[in-house]
Amino acid sequence: MADTAITESKVLDALRSVMDPDLGRDIVSLNFIRNMKIEGPVVSFDVNLTTPACPVKERLREQSRQAVLSGVPGVSDVRVNMTAEVRRPPAPEASRIKGVKNIVAVGSGKGGVGKSTVAANIAVSLSRSGAKVGLLDADIYGPSIPIMMRSSGEPEMKDGTIQPVEAHGVKLMSMGYMSGEMPLIWRGPMAHKALQQSLLGVNWGELDYLVVDLPPGTGDVHLTLVQTVPVTGAVIVSTPQDVGLQISMKTLRMFQQTKVPLLGIVENMSFYICPHCGGRDEIFGHGGAAHAAQALDVPFLGEIPLDPAIRKRSDAGMPVVLAEADSASARAFTEITGKLAQQISIQAFRNIPLTIIEE
Amino acid sequence: MPTLPEQATTPAEIRKKSGEGIAIRWLDGHTSTFGARFLRGRCPCAQCVSESTGQRLVSEEHVAPDVSIESARTVGNYALHFTFSDGHTTGIYSFEYLRRVCPCEDCA
Repeated sequence: MADTAITESKVLDALRSVMDPDLGRDIVSLNFIRNMKIEGPVVSFDVNLTTPACPVKERLREQSRQAVLSGVPGVSDVRVNMTAEVRRPPAPEASRIKGVKNIVAVGSGKGGVGKSTVAANIAVSLSRSGAKVGLLDADIYGPSIPIMMRSSGEPEMKDGTIQPVEAHGVKLMSMGYMSGEMPLIWRGPMAHKALQQSLLGVNWGELDYLVVDLPPGTGDVHLTLVQTVPVTGAVIVSTPQDVGLQISMKTLRMFQQTKVPLLGIVENMSFYICPHCGGRDEIFGHGGAAHAAQALDVPFLGEIPLDPAIRKRSDAGMPVVLAEADSASARAFTEITGKLAQQISIQAFRNIPLTIIEE
Repeated sequence: MPTLPEQATTPAEIRKKSGEGIAIRWLDGHTSTFGARFLRGRCPCAQCVSESTGQRLVSEEHVAPDVSIESARTVGNYALHFTFSDGHTTGIYSFEYLRRVCPCEDCA
């Protein structure tokens, strides 16, 4: 007589046919399946993904359900609970920020491309998906995050560490808090110390993602960041304009030279939809960033329209992904955030331990 | 200078051998072994290499024969930093640089 009992191993075998498209491995060997229960003909389990912002979540849920229904005889119903736990990339403990799993740098070749807007919307978007997120505004020359996130109050010192401000569910620290209304007129060593303190001297608590908004270009702050902590990866924000891209390339190469993985390029101000006639105008040209990404073999994360609502919402302190969550602009940011979270997960599974073995 | 492939400049394993130096096995399978004096004499910092002319100011012959590496640590993802027994600490040796100066017979 054939063995007709539904067992955990039969269910797992059936689930081995479900692949995570980014990591290229099946969800069983990736150890995603948790809390399996078999109650008569009903099977339930969790699929523990690598990020709550996963864009293929629903597809994986359906594939898992179908795999068990069709692969294990006798099963009448499958209940799949999608959960997520952000993994940290392998790197030496000594040089990390305690409790912070991933550090994501957001850079650009030049100023004025909307880097801080992108950083703020990505951070809020990640937080809305259920992740624990911090946002460090390291742009000493033009710290704008406190305005965009409408954070009232200032970080306080407690027991020798800085307590970050919280806004829209995101923990914030900005170089802008260090000087109030006065500009920061710093030479390199001051910028270096201030960034180190903002990274290591802040009580970030447990974070899945720490997004770091860098100053434009390449300089002291960038070097300090890549030398102080193992950066999970970097995102480059660019406009479609070729001149913008030429300069973006320099920032991109800086990250390559310091072995910071490139998580992707975001094209901002991609196109303009006329509010009067609905016509589409490509003010700065179009597709430049996508071409560059392809040529450099770097993921292209998506494009964001030149939309007055993004600017208005930023100025009012509530990023568009929160203020107008259903708008096309908000959806563009959410999609970009999903792709970015995928890339971070891929890095977390790329196992290159960088420790020195003492003999 | 032609760029080296990613695999050639990414370490698979880094070992610090006490009293001897550093051994790096790279992802392309090659292994480089660096003596302490060799590394101290090739320090890329601005005190050892002139910033304006690129001329080397401190090389192996200026370094005590018995110099050793007191400690080594990684710098971000891309480099190593050493504290030498003569007190010198300012060099940041990128993996790319280390691979380029690999002293083995095949590379030299």
